[in-house]
Amino acid sequence: MSVIAPKFRLGYFLKAIFDNAFWILTLVTLAGIPAIQIALFFAPLPVIDGQLLTAFLAFTWLFNPTMQIPLIKALLYSDLFRIAAFPGFGFAALIAAGTIFVERKMLAKLQLRVGPFYCGKIEGILQLAGDGLKLISKEIIIPAKADKPLFWAAPVLFVGTAAAFVALIPVAPGGWVVADLDVGLLAVFAVIGFFPIITILSAWSANSKYPFIGGIRALHQMVSFEIPLILSLLGVVILTGTLNLSEIVESQSSFPWIIFMPIGAIVFFTTMLAELERIPFDLPEAESEIVAGWLTEFSGMMYGLVQLGSYLKLYAFAALFVIIFLGGWTGPVFWPPLDTELITEGIPIPNYMGDPILTVATPGLPLFDKDPNEWVMQEQGGLVYTSGQLLISGVIWFVLKTVGVIFFILLPRGVFPRIRLDMLLTLGWYKLIGLSFVNIFIALGLVYAGVIGPGGIL
Amino acid sequence: MAEQVIPTNQMPPGLQVENVDDRIMTLNVGPQHPGSGHMRIIVKIDGDYIVDADPDPGYVHRGEEKMAESRNYITNIPHLERPVIHDSCNILYPYVLGVEELVGIEVSERAKYVRVIAAELNRCIYIQYWLAIYGIFLGHSTMFMWPAGDRELLIDLMEKITGARVTHAYFIPGGVRNDIPANFEDVCLRQVNYFEKRIKEYADIFYDNPILKARTEDTGVLSREDAIRLGTTGSVLRASGVDYDLRIKEPYDVYDELDVHTNVLKSGDSYARSKIPWLDMLESCNIIRQALEKMPKSGSIRTKLKPNPKGQIGEVYRRVESGRGSAGCHIISDGKIEPYRLKLSVSSFRNLIALPYLLKGEKLGNMPAVYWSLNYWPVEADR
Amino acid sequence: MSTAEITPPPKATPPKATPPKATPPKATPPKATPPKATPPKATPPEKIEPPVPAFEKSYIDQITNKFTDDVEVGYIKENRTRINVKKEKIIDVAKFIKDNTPFDHAESVTGVDFPEDKEIGLIYHLGSYTDSTYSKQVLALATRVPREENPNPGNDSTKLPSLRDMFYSVEFHEREIFEMLGVYFEGHPDNRRLLLPEDWADLPPLRKDFKNKGR
Repeated sequence: MSVIAPKFRLGYFLKAIFDNAFWILTLVTLAGIPAIQIALFFAPLPVIDGQLLTAFLAFTWLFNPTMQIPLIKALLYSDLFRIAAFPGFGFAALIAAGTIFVERKMLAKLQLRVGPFYCGKIEGILQLAGDGLKLISKEIIIPAKADKPLFWAAPVLFVGTAAAFVALIPVAPGGWVVADLDVGLLAVFAVIGFFPIITILSAWSANSKYPFIGGIRALHQMVSFEIPLILSLLGVVILTGTLNLSEIVESQSSFPWIIFMPIGAIVFFTTMLAELERIPFDLPEAESEIVAGWLTEFSGMMYGLVQLGSYLKLYAFAALFVIIFLGGWTGPVFWPPLDTELITEGIPIPNYMGDPILTVATPGLPLFDKDPNEWVMQEQGGLVYTSGQLLISGVIWFVLKTVGVIFFILLPRGVFPRIRLDMLLTLGWYKLIGLSFVNIFIALGLVYAGVIGPGGIL
Repeated sequence: MAEQVIPTNQMPPGLQVENVDDRIMTLNVGPQHPGSGHMRIIVKIDGDYIVDADPDPGYVHRGEEKMAESRNYITNIPHLERPVIHDSCNILYPYVLGVEELVGIEVSERAKYVRVIAAELNRCIYIQYWLAIYGIFLGHSTMFMWPAGDRELLIDLMEKITGARVTHAYFIPGGVRNDIPANFEDVCLRQVNYFEKRIKEYADIFYDNPILKARTEDTGVLSREDAIRLGTTGSVLRASGVDYDLRIKEPYDVYDELDVHTNVLKSGDSYARSKIPWLDMLESCNIIRQALEKMPKSGSIRTKLKPNPKGQIGEVYRRVESGRGSAGCHIISDGKIEPYRLKLSVSSFRNLIALPYLLKGEKLGNMPAVYWSLNYWPVEADR
Repeated sequence: MSTAEITPPPKATPPKATPPKATPPKATPPKATPPKATPPKATPPEKIEPPVPAFEKSYIDQITNKFTDDVEVGYIKENRTRINVKKEKIIDVAKFIKDNTPFDHAESVTGVDFPEDKEIGLIYHLGSYTDSTYSKQVLALATRVPREENPNPGNDSTKLPSLRDMFYSVEFHEREIFEMLGVYFEGHPDNRRLLLPEDWADLPPLRKDFKNKGR
C-alpha cells in the first residue's frame, strides 16, 4: 500500500463523488426498490394487534411509543431473526470467533509464549479480523486438472452442513431453536454423516497426491468414529424416551445425565474430538507428513470458509454435549423472583402527562416476554418466574457450560502429539464401540430396575 | 499393467522412471515439505506400508571439502563450522585438534577447560533444537515450543562468551579466540541449573505421554548387530545397546579428568533413540558444572601462532563426540599452508544408511518418527 | 608439488602401475603430544624416533604375516595405523581383517587425488565397536587406483572392487567417491549420484583438475 492517492485534484475528486452518487441513485431506483417490493410481496408478515404489519406500517409504528415494543418483539420472534442472529448463525459465529481467539491465546500461554499481540490495542483482540481480511484478499488458486464444480462447491457445502448442524441445537427454554424437530437427534446424526462425504469429495476433486492421502485418512477417521458417537448417545435416549433435543434438556431439570452415564460422556467426548479433526486426531491435516492433508489445495477465502465451518462444527458439538449430558440451559435462575401481582398485572409506564399507556411484564425485560395478555409463568423450585427471566438465565447457563466444554476440547492441543492411523482405527472400531455398549447396558439396567425413565423413581 | 522395473543403476542420472502401478504410489517427501528437513526421500508406498525408501541428500551441498583445499588452516575455520551452525564448536573440534597435531601446538589447561565447556553447551543447544523439530514431526506443538524456548538460555551464554548466537567460530588451533567474561562462572552455573530443572520436566509431558510412546515404541527397531554392521554412531548406537562414547573411550582435551557417564538403552526403537539425547543433555549439565569447578583460574587462552602455520607432511585423523555422534576430521597435509585433502567424517552421513534400512516395511505414519529419530542433520550430511 | 607427498615416494623408481609405496620408517610422523593429560613438553624431541607401540604392532603383524608381499605398513602410531594394499588384493585383505580381527565397521572412506602419480588413493578407516580394547584403534586401509586424464566415470580404468559385502557401512561413502572422484566400484549395487545435482556434467569435483572458481 505505497501510493493510494498519487495526486489530489479537486476536480477529479468532485467528479468521483458525483459519479458514485449518480450510480447509487440509479441502481436503487431502478433495481433496489422494485426488488424490495417484490420480496415483501412474498415474505410472511406478522400480525400485531389485529393489523397486518406491512413495511409502511412498521416505519410508522417505530415512532409511536405504544407500539415500539410489540413491533420489535414481533421481529424478534420471526424466523429470520432466529436463523441469522440468535440462536442461529450470528450467535454461533460469535462463539466460534471467540473460540479461535481463546484457543490461540490459551495455547500460547501453555507453551510459554504470548500469542496474538499486536493486532488491536488489548492483547491482539482484532487478530481474527486481520486474518479474515487477509484471507479475503488472497488469490484463489485452483489446480489445473481439478474437478472445478466439485472443488468450488466443497467449502460451501461444508459451511452449509455445519450451519445445518447449528440449526438443530436448542439454546434456551421456550423453543429457541431454528429447526424444532421431533426427531432432532436423528437429524443430528444424519447431518454428521454428511461430513465425510464432503471431505472425500473435496479431497478427490483436488487431483493431487497429498489431498488424496489426507482425504482417505479423513474418511477412515470420520467413518470409524460415527458408530461410537451414535451408540454413546443412545443411552440417554433410552433413559429419556425421546429424541427431541428440547425435551431431553427438560428432562434434566433436577440432575444432568452425566451422573448416570459417565462412560457415555467420555466416549462421546473422544468421538467428538475425532469428528472435529482436533489434535490428537488431526490426522487428515497432519502437517509433517502430508503437507496439509485434504486442505492442501484450498487457498484464500475457500480456506477461510472451511475454517469457519470447522469452528461452527466445534460449537455445535460442544453444544450437543452440553444438551445431552450436562443439562443444557438448566441451572439455578439468576434473577430474584418477583411479586405475583407484578407479573400478572405488570408495571404501568406513564407518559409525560402521567397517564399509563403501557404495562410491561417485568421491569427491564419487555422484549423477551411473550404476549402480555397471556403471561407464561414457569415454576422452578417453587418460585415463579416469567419466561423472560428464564430465557436470559437459560442462555447464560448454556453459554457458560458450552464455553467450559470448548475449553476442554481445546486443551489436548497443547498436550498430545498426533495419533497414528492404525491406532485410531483400533480405537474407533474396537474400544469405543465396546465402551458404548457397556454404556447402553447400564442405561437399560437403570430403566428396567425402575430407577429412571418413564415411570421410574426419579 | 506390465510390471517392468528398471533397476536404479541403469536409469539416467537423477531421473525417476515411475511405472504406472495400481498398487504402488511414489511419493516425493521432498525438500519443500514440512516433514523432511533439507532432504528428499523418495518413498514408494503400497497402501499404508512403505515398500522402498530412497534418500536423496545433496540439496545443501556446498563443497566444504573442496573449498578447504584452497584456504589455509586458519581461514578454514568459519567454513568448516557451517555444516552444523548450532553445534559449531563440536564440529570444529576434531579439525582443531588435528591441526594442532599437524602443526605441533600445545594448548594450555585453561583453554582446554573453556573448550570443554563451550562444546558441552553447544551439544545441549543442538539437542534442544533437534527435540523441537522432533515435536513438529510428531505433531506436538508444545514439544516444539518448550525446547526452543529453553534453548535460549544456553544461546544467551554462548553469546556472552563469543558474541554470536550460532556459528561461533570460537575454536582455533592453540586454544580459543577470546577469554570468557569476568563473572561468567556464576552466571553459567545459575543458568545451567535452571536449564536442568526445566528439562527434567520433559520426562512427564514428553516421554511419559501415552500417544508419543505408542507412536515411537517398537518402530524402526535397530538390533545391536545391525547397528554395529551399519556403522552407525552416536545416539543411534547407544540406543541399540552398544556402549561407545568417544569422550570416554578416546578422551581428548580434559575429558579424562571429568566424570562422564554413558547412557545406554537396549531396545533400539525410536523411543530409545529419542530419549538418549535428552539423557545426554542431563549428563552435559553435570559435565559443565564439574568443568566450571575444576577450571584453572588463570592461564593463557590462546597459544601464539606464527602467521600462516604450515602443517608437517603426514596425515591425522581425529574424532570427537558431537551432539549427534562421532565427528571426525581426516587431514592430509603436504607441508603447505593449505591442507592437501580435508575430509569431514560426519555422523549424519554415517547414520544415513540406517534410513532406507529401517523404513522398508514401516507404516507411512511412522516415517517422520523414525526418520528424525536417527539424529540426522541434513546440512551436516551434505557438507 | 615435488616430493612433498603423503607417504614419500620410493627414492628411485618412478611410479609404476600399483606398487604400494614403501615407507622408510624414517618418515617424520607429525609430532604430537599424546592425547592423555600429560604436561605439555616444551620442545618435541628432534631426532629420536618414538618407539613403535606394541599393541598396534601386534595386530598389524597379524596382517602383514598373512599377506607378505601385497601389504605394506604405512605407519604405526599410537591408536592410528595404516597399511597400504595393492588394489587387486584389497578384497582379500578386507575379508581377512573382517574375519580375524575385531574391526567390524568402516568409519569413513576418503578419496585423494594424486595427479602427478596419476593415481587416486582411497583410504578406509576401520574401527571396532565390539571389542573394548580396540575401541581407540583406527586402522587405515589404503589403496591406489590408476587415474586417467579425461575421466569417463564408470567406463575407464578407474575401477575398484567394492568393500560393501564386508563392511556394509561404506555403501553411501562409495557412492560419494564415485561422483566426486570418478572411481567406479564393481560389485556395488547402486553407483549413482548422491550429493551432486542430477545434471552435473563437469569433471568429478574433488579432482585437482577441477578448480575452485576464483582461486
